[in-house]
Amino acid sequence: MYNIRLLRQLRWFGGHHRLMASQHKRPQLLGSVPSDQLEQLKSNYFARRQELSGDEWQSVRHSLIEGYKHINDHNVDAVILGVCSGPQQLSLAKNYVDYLRSTGAGPNAATLGRLLRVYNTAYHTRPLSEAEQREILQICDSLQAAHETLDATSCEQVIHGLVATTEHWQRALPLLEMMKVTSTPSVSAYSALAEKAFGQSDQAEEAWRLLEEMTLARKQPRCEVYLALLNRLAQEPAATSSLRVELERLLQFLERHNILVSQKVAQRLLQLGQQLPQQLRVTASRLGPLGKCQECRQHLQPVAISDEEFRQLSECFLEKVLIRGDVFQKSTPEEMLRFKQYVEKTAPYDCVIDGLNVAYSTGAKKAPQQLAKLLATVVRHFKERHKRVLVLGREHMRKWSKSAMHYVQNNASLFLTNNLSHDDPFLLYATIRSGQETDFFSRDLMRTHAFLLGAELKPIFRRWQQEHQFSLVTQTQTGKIIVKEPIRHRLSVHQAEGGSWHVPYCDVYTPNPTDSFDVPEHWLCLILNT
Amino acid sequence: MLKTLRPWRLASHMLKGCAIPARRVSDSFKTFDGDNAFAGSEVNSKKFSNPFAQASPAISDGPAETEEDRGKRRKVLQLEADIAHQEGRRVPALEFFQDHHWDHVLSLPTKSARIKYYAFLWQINMKKEAERRKKAQRAEDTERRIADMRKEREENTHIIYGLAHTSMFLRIYDTTINHWQNNRLTRAMQFAPKMVLDCSYDKHMNNREASYAAKQLMLCFAENRLNDEPFDLHYCNAQLEGKCMQNLKRYIPTMLNPEFPMNVHKQCFTELFDKQNLVYLTPHCREDLVTYNPDDIYIVGAMVDTMNNEPLSLAKAKRLGLRMARLPLDRYLQWGSGSGKSLTLNQMINIMLDLKKTGNWDSALKHVPRRKVVDMDTQRRADDSRKALGTRARKLNVRIDHLLDFEEERRHTTAFATPQTLRQRKEGMEFQLDTWAAGKKKKKREN
Repeated sequence: MYNIRLLRQLRWFGGHHRLMASQHKRPQLLGSVPSDQLEQLKSNYFARRQELSGDEWQSVRHSLIEGYKHINDHNVDAVILGVCSGPQQLSLAKNYVDYLRSTGAGPNAATLGRLLRVYNTAYHTRPLSEAEQREILQICDSLQAAHETLDATSCEQVIHGLVATTEHWQRALPLLEMMKVTSTPSVSAYSALAEKAFGQSDQAEEAWRLLEEMTLARKQPRCEVYLALLNRLAQEPAATSSLRVELERLLQFLERHNILVSQKVAQRLLQLGQQLPQQLRVTASRLGPLGKCQECRQHLQPVAISDEEFRQLSECFLEKVLIRGDVFQKSTPEEMLRFKQYVEKTAPYDCVIDGLNVAYSTGAKKAPQQLAKLLATVVRHFKERHKRVLVLGREHMRKWSKSAMHYVQNNASLFLTNNLSHDDPFLLYATIRSGQETDFFSRDLMRTHAFLLGAELKPIFRRWQQEHQFSLVTQTQTGKIIVKEPIRHRLSVHQAEGGSWHVPYCDVYTPNPTDSFDVPEHWLCLILNT
Repeated sequence: MLKTLRPWRLASHMLKGCAIPARRVSDSFKTFDGDNAFAGSEVNSKKFSNPFAQASPAISDGPAETEEDRGKRRKVLQLEADIAHQEGRRVPALEFFQDHHWDHVLSLPTKSARIKYYAFLWQINMKKEAERRKKAQRAEDTERRIADMRKEREENTHIIYGLAHTSMFLRIYDTTINHWQNNRLTRAMQFAPKMVLDCSYDKHMNNREASYAAKQLMLCFAENRLNDEPFDLHYCNAQLEGKCMQNLKRYIPTMLNPEFPMNVHKQCFTELFDKQNLVYLTPHCREDLVTYNPDDIYIVGAMVDTMNNEPLSLAKAKRLGLRMARLPLDRYLQWGSGSGKSLTLNQMINIMLDLKKTGNWDSALKHVPRRKVVDMDTQRRADDSRKALGTRARKLNVRIDHLLDFEEERRHTTAFATPQTLRQRKEGMEFQLDTWAAGKKKKKREN
């Protein structure tokens, strides 16, 4: 329910109103007015008019100040400019600022910043006139002259203003550095600059640098950035080679950072393929079984990690995840030693099973016999395929049904930890120690472990997890189990063996995408002609 | 962070894969338990050394900011707050901020942390303004009332009644009660069982959690003092420079005075008491506390762990080799889907006090807030009986819910109070004066 409210707010404020964490908790919209009064305001004053007289502005201000406790003399100007922030309302905004100047008080810094934002939204629909650009420059100069170092919000507004001009956008680059003093620069600041840079014919390097910086700061670039690049590629009657080089650079960037583009970008790519049929062919595609693209009939690359990466993962794993400065939190030193010796003795395995996770997969409130039976069924599943398994559990599992546990003990290696220890890190340690070929069986998403490994190892860990994780889907009435096997092909942008690029895409752009464990539904198949 | 060097070294040896001689392993573990093993024979010696006492090294976070940088950063942050205020966000005006506010703002790591702090300051500013407005209003009203009364008195020809604060009762001042309770506390220090609050978790809490912990510690002391048979409460591992203790000092300024009956110790409880008697109460272990043993000294970790999920108290108890226990909450209570099984410190102390007094878990666990506990059975029974009787009663237009309430509560009423039942909808039972006995049939509302 509240999502609708927030979405509405986004739409009305031209998308620049930052959604703060506090907004999700409180229904009162910040720096703005509640919806019904807003509707009234918009319909009475703002919808069709280009300018209002001084008295009308006076009455608007008055009604806002009287109506809301949080709106007072200081912030009513910025609030009004926040309300008329659509591209058609530029003249209205300018009119209000002129009115403020005429009354003698003059607009404050926040109001001028918001005016720059309105200029920016107008710039996206039509090019700005000379006079408008001069005014933008004037405002930017005055804001920058007033303070030596600007704060993050003002920097962002000035960046948006400068990007709307034709020649002066490069002044905005040092402002990005200034933003870093107080906080990491926002997605919109980075995106605005990168978009502008891609739009110029010779500033591609600058744009790429910004994109790299952005993804390093874990900010997802907006669709407009990619659209700007693709538009430029479409317009330039470029030689085949430079188009190919640029596109490959884009695809490699997406691959390296595991970015999922949105549908808008995918549509633009399709259009590009139609516009330049000799140089590239783009088709929407689906994935068949075993990761085969239905269009180009090529198999996607396997998701396996290289030996070097695997070695790195194995070295850092124990220290960062299990010990993490205090081994007593997750286990005890003697138990770790005992486990290590056991693994040395009985390695290598084909699969390591997280006993408790498997047993509780179909529900936590089952009788111990059922839990033990489920575990035994999973062990049998692997025994039928002649695989060696290690089962990890806790001491209290000895008290489960003796027959099932004996079956497990006879057909697999069994290691039971203390009832107080975490068994997940043991599972991953045994699997990694066994080598690259070993899988593991657990429904756990391993999010804490991915986080604890750090930013460099996290993508490697996730790829390894995708390649090796079996999970139990469910158990049917007859007792048969349905096992989800790991997906052995890559799920991000990459080049298949035959040279064709495969690009998955999602429906809408999200600023903070979470780790997804599903196969993307929509794919594009790109073939670049040499 | 209570980093112990020995197990860490052990584990890093394992990482490097060197063969650890088995003897060395057992040696190191012998010394861990060495104190425990020998403590029994040295019953008379009062000195128990803490094998894990380490001088805490000052951890530097990198090169210190110069004064100039700090001043510059402060200016930028002031500009940030100013602009946010102009935009109408939840930031108070610049005049509201004081030096200690800016010090705190400069210590916050990220922009979102600053935004939340500004929102908090905005809230207290708004509350203050509302208070001011109400006070002005009240002053006006009082003046008007006094003027009216004076006028009335002047016009009155009869005598004027009224007690005007005279009374036949002796006035009992707060300080008298305080002295009486302090006296009880000093007697407790001599004779009563001991209880330890372990305040060593300062590093694991952020500022807000530390202030909550301080308030809970203050409430522990207060509620302990109120009780008829208080514990001898010891605050151990108190880092007097840390946030938690500084806040506690603001609540109780005379905390460290020698004549004030509060035991604050910088040392660890292992140095003050015998390890055999110590039991660490932690929610992360498996053994329930079954009976209360007055010879045991129970330890509660003074930590507010809203952000932190790690079993720190468990790790500490394991490392020190102490016995552990948890309250048998699952056995005696049925938890609702509310706010989880965490209890505040003063609730813990109250539970232990009641347990000591009665030995009965049901009465002790009455201190767990009722909103966390759901009583499924009584609710169902109430609904059934209510439905049956409700229709009849509605026809006669008679109110019966107070009778039904009494019915169920009679089963559960104990010496401590009638338990609060969850709020129940009283449908169709409201007494409507205008339609009462009007002869019109009350239309049932279609749901």
